[in-house]
Amino acid sequence: MPDPEVTDEVPSADASAVRYENATKRYGDSAEAAVERLNLEIPAGEVCVLVGPSGCGKTTAMRLVNRTVELTEGDVLLDGESVRDRDPARLRRETGYVIQQIGLFPHRTVAENIATVPHLLGWKKERIGARTAELLELIGLDPELGERYPAQLSGGQQQRVGVARALAADPLVMLMDEPFGAIDPINRERLQNEFLRLQAEIRKTVLFVTHDIDEAIKMGDRIAVMRKGGHVAQYATPAELLMAPADEFVEDFVGADRALKRLALMRVSDIDLWEAPLAHVGQATAEVRAKLRGAEVPYPLLVDSERRPLGWLSERDLAAETVAARPDSPLGPLLDLDDVMRDALADLLQGEAQYAAVADHRGRIAGVLSVEIISEFLASPQAKTEEHGAAERPH
Amino acid sequence: MTGAAALALPLAKAGEVGEGFFHERSSETLPCQATDKLFCFDWAKENIGRYGTPTVQHLELVAISVLLGFAIAFAFSLLAHRRPWLRPPLLAGTGILYTIPSIAFFFLLLPITGRGRETAIIALSAYTLQIIYRNTMIGLANVPTAVKDAARGMGLTERQILWKVELPLATPEIVAGLRIATVSTVAIATLAVFAGGGGLGTQIYGQGNINFATSIIIAGGIAILMALAFDAVLLITQRLTTPWRRGAQA
Repeated sequence: MPDPEVTDEVPSADASAVRYENATKRYGDSAEAAVERLNLEIPAGEVCVLVGPSGCGKTTAMRLVNRTVELTEGDVLLDGESVRDRDPARLRRETGYVIQQIGLFPHRTVAENIATVPHLLGWKKERIGARTAELLELIGLDPELGERYPAQLSGGQQQRVGVARALAADPLVMLMDEPFGAIDPINRERLQNEFLRLQAEIRKTVLFVTHDIDEAIKMGDRIAVMRKGGHVAQYATPAELLMAPADEFVEDFVGADRALKRLALMRVSDIDLWEAPLAHVGQATAEVRAKLRGAEVPYPLLVDSERRPLGWLSERDLAAETVAARPDSPLGPLLDLDDVMRDALADLLQGEAQYAAVADHRGRIAGVLSVEIISEFLASPQAKTEEHGAAERPH
Repeated sequence: MTGAAALALPLAKAGEVGEGFFHERSSETLPCQATDKLFCFDWAKENIGRYGTPTVQHLELVAISVLLGFAIAFAFSLLAHRRPWLRPPLLAGTGILYTIPSIAFFFLLLPITGRGRETAIIALSAYTLQIIYRNTMIGLANVPTAVKDAARGMGLTERQILWKVELPLATPEIVAGLRIATVSTVAIATLAVFAGGGGLGTQIYGQGNINFATSIIIAGGIAILMALAFDAVLLITQRLTTPWRRGAQA
């Protein structure tokens, strides 16, 4: 759940709930089913991540929805309507489809690629043109790139076009099969964030397949951890999954560093911060020293008249009668209340700092985050103590 | 080929072979024709007009044969594309046709189709089948699976996938096959004269004196230029129909 504020909103009407009912897929006469009696319910407008080791049937399960894999038994319902009753080609035009290899048409321009489904649906030329322009803007691509061919774009840009193409006709459900799997880690992170931002806006029902638990935790409103045969070992929110793995398989899959992973789900504002002993220019040092006694943070933080942090003061700075202006006082990492905890910890470690000032959205001091706060949180009953070691040594 | 033609010559007795084989032999005895000079400019200057009709005939032979061969081979490819079991017999069948020596092919056809352009065209188009069929199949096989998967997943029908995705993407290989087929047909068509099909062969073998090099050089030169021209036209066509390939290199 990337943004709790948005999750509470009523999902828009142009997304379908997906329900698997004993959905089974058997290839040929093989005794073992690729997916066996899968039951899963995905509310409209949510991102459901199917995650599991390779060969667990997650892609097969996803493909049952748009009938690129046909059901052997059971059913898949979109808003209560069986996919079996739908013409496959029409069903697919209402279902966005993004795959790892992207599969853009190399012989079509970017704009033509995006217009694929609207074109199939027989939209008018002006409407297609307007929609294409809108989508290029939505994915943050220069409109000029619309005239290029896919081979002229970078991998990240190509995958953005792949997402735009899938969204073109406003599908009820999006199927995404390891969509960012072939992208380098830095761009992958960027694309994930972009998609989350996009999803907060468009609220599609998304089935997202990945083998990467970190990606699952980041992207999913709900996660279905699957094991061989398409069996769901656990279906839960990311936080539940990390706090209470259903069994050993899930625990193994989620990984020993799952306490650390929880940091990825939290923002700095979610944790109790320490109060900083504040100091102003011209204030008597004795007054500042008095504040330091009993404070959790042993250093005073110099702030301006708007309470914006300027820097930490040292023992030497307090030698004078009053606090002097120190334009070069070291501030170290400055965090934001909206920062993800994992990134905040990374900033602390990278800055080799014990403490970091946290500012609110107007830049005013909101508190202090310390390595100690984080390690206490990780050691709390919620995060299991046996994983403490792993948590303290993240790198 | 020239070897085969030379071997076949004794078979082509007067009367069996059509116009322009023996009796069109130039009666003027120009000085350089008598000598063993490699190229006789005087003769060439005086006789260049006689190449017009054979050149047009040759062009027609090549164009019709390649178009016919393409139509058949393309149909074969579409059939075999969805029916893998058809591939081995089609490959073997077109392969056998391809290995029949050209002169033999013409003479084999004579009792069935008689002498004339049609016989030549049948044999010539039969030779193009293998190359065009094989290249088309390679082109279709080279279409990335992900592209087809995405196309299917977006709701294109099988027919739309074939015509809007697979065939456009196979164009470079298909045109490559056409280029090879066309160039080799320009060459083999010089033998059409043995089936009574006319063409530049009439000026190569038709002088009755295989030792008279001038006409062979002129007719051969025209054939080479024709092959180059066909090749260039096809190459330009390919460039124009596959703009995305240029884009990739830019």
